[in-house]
This record gives sequence, structure tokens and C-alpha cells, in this order.
Amino acid sequence: MFSGTYLKLARAAIRSNKWRSLLTMFGVVIGVASVVTIVSIGEGVKHQVSEQIKQRGDDLITILPGGRIKRDHNGQITNFNPLDVQGGVSFSEADYKAVLQIPSVKPVVPFGRVVGLAKTASNEYEGAEIIAATEGVPLVLNQKLAYGSFFADNELKANSAVIGQRVAERLFGENVPLGKSLIIRDREFIVRGIFDKFSNGSAFVASADYDNAIFIPYKAGQETMGGTIQIYQILTRPTDAQHMDDTVAALAQALKTARAGQEDFTVLKQDENLALANNFLNVLTSMISAVAAISLVVGGIGIMNIMLVSVTERTKEIGIRKAVGATNRQILYQFLTEATVISLLGGILGVIIALLANFLLRIFTDLRPVVTWPIVIVACGIALIVGLFFGVAPALKAARKDPIDALRYEQ
Amino acid sequence: MSLIDLSEVSKLYGFGDATTIALDEVSLTINKGEFVAVMGPSGSGKSTLMHMIGLLDRPTHGTYTFNGRLISHMSVARRARLRRDTLGFVFQSSNLIPRLNVLENVALPLAYKGMTQTRRLKQASAVLEQIGLADREYFMPKQLSGGQTQRVAIARALVNNPDVIIADEPTGNLDSASSLLVMELLSDLHKMGHTILLVTHNPELTRYSSRVVFMRDGLIIADEQTQVGRIPALARKLYFMQRKTVDDDLAGVSALMKALSSDAAQNKSKKVKKIKTKSFKRPRKKRVAK
Ligand SMILES: Nc1ncnc2c1ncn2[C@@H]1O[C@H](COP(=O)(O)OP(=O)(O)OP(=O)(O)O)[C@@H](O)[C@H]1O
Ligand SMILES: [Mg+2]
Repeated sequence: MFSGTYLKLARAAIRSNKWRSLLTMFGVVIGVASVVTIVSIGEGVKHQVSEQIKQRGDDLITILPGGRIKRDHNGQITNFNPLDVQGGVSFSEADYKAVLQIPSVKPVVPFGRVVGLAKTASNEYEGAEIIAATEGVPLVLNQKLAYGSFFADNELKANSAVIGQRVAERLFGENVPLGKSLIIRDREFIVRGIFDKFSNGSAFVASADYDNAIFIPYKAGQETMGGTIQIYQILTRPTDAQHMDDTVAALAQALKTARAGQEDFTVLKQDENLALANNFLNVLTSMISAVAAISLVVGGIGIMNIMLVSVTERTKEIGIRKAVGATNRQILYQFLTEATVISLLGGILGVIIALLANFLLRIFTDLRPVVTWPIVIVACGIALIVGLFFGVAPALKAARKDPIDALRYEQ
Repeated sequence: MSLIDLSEVSKLYGFGDATTIALDEVSLTINKGEFVAVMGPSGSGKSTLMHMIGLLDRPTHGTYTFNGRLISHMSVARRARLRRDTLGFVFQSSNLIPRLNVLENVALPLAYKGMTQTRRLKQASAVLEQIGLADREYFMPKQLSGGQTQRVAIARALVNNPDVIIADEPTGNLDSASSLLVMELLSDLHKMGHTILLVTHNPELTRYSSRVVFMRDGLIIADEQTQVGRIPALARKLYFMQRKTVDDDLAGVSALMKALSSDAAQNKSKKVKKIKTKSFKRPRKKRVAK
């Protein structure tokens, strides 16, 4: 009923001591700024990942080592295990062959990890990921080449490479190094194709950053690795998208047989892949945010502290207010409103700082943080609750002051 | 029916040996429209009595009826609302909240009534106009002189049109010219029908009152109806004697005692007599507040 009056009182109190008010809200500012920044980075990555996943097409099937999900008998995912580390698990040649036997998928593209450094005569680039794969890469990734062509399945032993644009820049220092040679594990490869820039490649999800990749023919990769290569994923598409679920089931069955009955692999449809990625990122951002949220609690304690001091300093004012007829409750609301407004202002300031930080992150890093209204509203809501909660003690202290003692109080 | 009715009201501070009796079974009735001046040496319980009457304090013993309502057992919140609606305070100093301007300070009691800001500022403005401080509305308290501060405090005490205005040494920090302005203001309010309680150390100021109450050691030792415009005999005696000595306080006491003994014939109140004997035989340990 009097909230307008209390707000005006709070405004007057905050204005009369601007620096102190700013210091009071400092903790909340930091807390909100960090939570909002982290969550918006998370949102941004989610956004990038989902763009990337969507760009690959709905019918892409991703086969990964490690049992990350559980399905019920209808094929619905019942349990995500987003933090399941793939440590050491990979597919073997036999697994790949088993998938190749399935008639309803084409093409089947293994992604083999070649461990090593890419060099030229004069330069080397540690950041590149070297992948041994087959002809179907442009098809499964749904990506065109900007220059040249991809190697065919009948050239899988050839010394040719197809590179992403960042590799072109970093390793060769030019945009179109067609015909140039690079050396991987002492074997020389000739660049025969350069991919278009991949959409929204994200440094955050390293395995998906194909701008940074060097593709070499599968068998050649196998040879450089001394005969065996670890396949960290297999990408494929069904020949008939209508039978997606049957295809997934058939793939799972074939792999289970190939891996002696073990279900230590995951076959994902594209929408599931997206859900899985989001799930993982959600867990990650909420864990980091929880740590950042602790600073909000510290901020709340800061507000409580300074408000307690402020109540003591304003004892005389409280006495005067009580003498002219303020009830304890009205004094309580006055100080509670003040604490809440300070905290809320801190929250708003925090959001502004987070926006600034995001702007800088966009300029200076690959991250594309996204601030959405829900994040802002939740952050400000939390700031408000922090103010309310930690304002109770000072407000009670003020409300309970004896009017006469308060009037007699001298600084 | 009397507006204020204190019956054997006591106020004690502390426990055991350290107990201070600020008010000692004081009985006092004040009717609507009276202008009561309260005098007495420092520490005699004048402020305590004012706080009691002003509903800021509750008696340790005894009953207090204000406007027909028994206060002793009234809740804190109800007393606050009663203060807001029927009482106005003027203190010796620090009456105003430094962060608020004059207008906002005057409007303060109205805010707690839930009045809209426009209405209360308008009403406060009208009162300031009436008091002749219309041109100081947007001054901050620190930009005012002492006399102006007290007049603003009176404006605030007036703004809710209270039944009773309680002024505890409102001229204590003022020179005689400013005191005069403040007293004329209170006098006008008295004429308009407000009940006024004034604590003062200056007998000169009792000329505005219709009744003078003398206190000592938490007791009312004299209570005199007077004619407005004249300094009552007792106060006059006190006043002249007081002027001769240096120590205000002690002089006040001794002068009062002398005045009382010479006026003994006039004061036939049983209470007063009882106190006299009591206080002469066994002098109280007096704590001087200032
Ligand atoms: N909170 C308190 N605790 C203990 N004693 C108190 C308290 N308040 C007042 N007293 C005592 O009560 C007595 C009366 O005090 P009071 O303030 O009413 O005196 P006063 O007549 O107003 O004096 P002055 O003219 O100096 O203002 C004094 O002895 C004082 O010490
Ligand atoms: Mg006093």
C-alpha cells in the first residue's frame, strides 16, 4: 500500500550516500555479472552447437564409442549420462566394417584420429586436428568445398589432404594453398581441397571445429599410424529417412554383435545429439554458475553489514520517525525496501557489466555469448531475493529500536 | 472529560541500587485547550513525563488514560498510530531528518497515514505558509537557522492537526528574539484551541501558559493555574532569584524551595505537603542529566 513511499525513501537514502550505496551493492554486482556472463556463454555455445548440428541435416546418424545413453524398448532415451568420459574407448576396424555391412545406410564415414603435428617446410601448426576419413565427409557434414575436390574412396591410400580454412591461414599463411605440401608424421601430403568456412564453428566443442581440421584418406592415415587407427566417431545417413528408427536399431544390433554383446557405444539421431549436447552444456554451466552464485551470498552479507552500520548511524532519524507516528512495521518496510532496492540496483548494474563483458568476448574471442531475457530476469530476481533476505536483520534492528533511546542517541 | 489523565504514574530506570525514579507516582489531569508549562531542575523528570504523555513511553506503574483510552496496555503499533493522529512533538534539537528537505520533513507524519505524496506536500506547504516559512520549503535542514529549524519542527507537529502539541524545551537553543517567534507561534496555536505542553527552564516563557507545573525529583511539587499573559508568582520568584546565581541548576532548586516555603500557605495540596517533608528529611540522590 505504501510501497511507493518506501521506494522514494529508499531512493533518497541511496542518493544521499552514493558511494556507500555503490560499495554496498558491490558484491551483488560481481555475483550477478559473473553468473549472467557464464550462463550467456553457455547459451551461446549451445546456440552454436545447435546451429552446427542442424546444419548437418536431420537425418545424420552419429555413432560414438562409450555408452552415454539408455533406451527403452521403444527406442526412447531414458537416461543421459552426459559426463561419461570416452576415455580410451574407440571403435576398431571390425566395428567400422560391421556398420558398412548395413545396407540401409550410405555413406558410412569413419573419423580416425591421427596423432601428430602438421608441418610445412617452413612452418608448423599444433592446433590442427588430423582426421583420417573417407569420400563421404562432405556429404555427412553437409559441407561444400571452396576450392578443389575431396578425395574419392578409390584413392584412400593417396597422399592428398583436404583442409579447413583456419589451417590454410595458420599453416600456409594464405587462403588457397592448393597443391602445396604438408608433412604429417614424416609423410608428405598435397593439399587438394579446401572446405568452405564451417558455420558457427566453436572452439568450445573442439571435436566439431572442422575449420581447424586436416582430412587425409583413411588408409593413408592408418599407414601413418602404423596400421591401426582409433575411430572416435562414425557418421552416416540412412538411404531412406522414413525408416530412421529401424536403421538406428539395425546399426545398434550390428555393433552389439561386433563388440561381443557389449553396449559400450551410442547411436544418436540428430535431434538426440542436440539434446545430449544441450544437456551436457546445461550441467556444465549450472555447475560453474553455482560457484559464481556463492559470490552473491557474499554480496548479500555485504549488504547486511553496511545496512547494520547505516541503521546505527540513522538511529536519530528512526527516533524522529517513530515520534511522528511511524509504526515498527513501517520502519521495517522502509529499511527492507532500501536493502532490496540496493541489491536490485546491484543486480541491474551486474547485468550491464555482463553485457559489456559479452561484447568484449565477442570481439576478442570465438565465443558468442547470448543474453536472453530469462537470464536477466532470473538474475535480477535473485538479486532482489538476496536483498530481501539479508535486509531482514538490519530492518528488524531498526524497527525494534526504542523511540526514546533513539531520540536521545548522539553520534 | 479530561484529555490527559495520569494516575499515580511511576517510571523507574535500572534495577536494585542503581534504580532511578524518573517519575514518582505522578498524578496529573490536563483538559483540552490548556497551555501547560512544565518547569523544574535538570533531571527532575520533565522529559520523562512528556514522553509518557506523548505515548513514546509506558509507565512502570500506574495508569494513563489519553482521550478516554487506557494507554498502559495498548500495543506498540496502536500507540504509534495514536501519536501519528493526535500528537505533535517539538524537541530541543535534532528535530529534522537531515537528508530530507523542509517540505518533506514537515510532511513526514502524513506519509505514515498513507496519504498520497501530492496531497501531503500540499498540506505541508500550507502549514509552512501559515508559519511564514513558505520561502524555505526546499531548503535542507542544515541550511536553516536554529529558530527556523524549531519553527519547521512546529510546522511538522501541526501538519496532522493534532489534539496535543508537546514541546520539550523548544527554545533551549535559541536567542530571545527567536524564542519569542516560537512562543508567539505556540501561543497562536493555543488560541486556536490546541492543547499545548511546554517544558522550559525560562520562567519568562510561562507568561504564555494557562497553567504551570513544577517538578522535582520525579514529583510534581506545585501546580498552578495562571492567567495568560502574566508570569505566575511562583515562577517570577524563581526567575528573579535564579538570575542572581551562576549555577543554573542548583539555583533553580534552592530558589524553588525558597519560593515554595514562602508560598506554603497557598499550596494546600496533600500531595505537595507529603513530598515536602519527604524530600527534606531524606534527600534523594539526584542524578544530573546534563
Ligand atoms: N534511559 C534512561 N536510563 C536511566 N535513567 C534515565 C533514562 N532516562 C532518563 N533517566 C533518568 O531519569 C531522570 C529524569 O530524566 P529527564 O530526562 O526526564 O529529566 P528532565 O527533567 O527532562 O531534565 P532536563 O531539564 O535536563 O532535560 C534523570 O535522573 C535521568 O537520569
Ligand atoms: Mg529534558
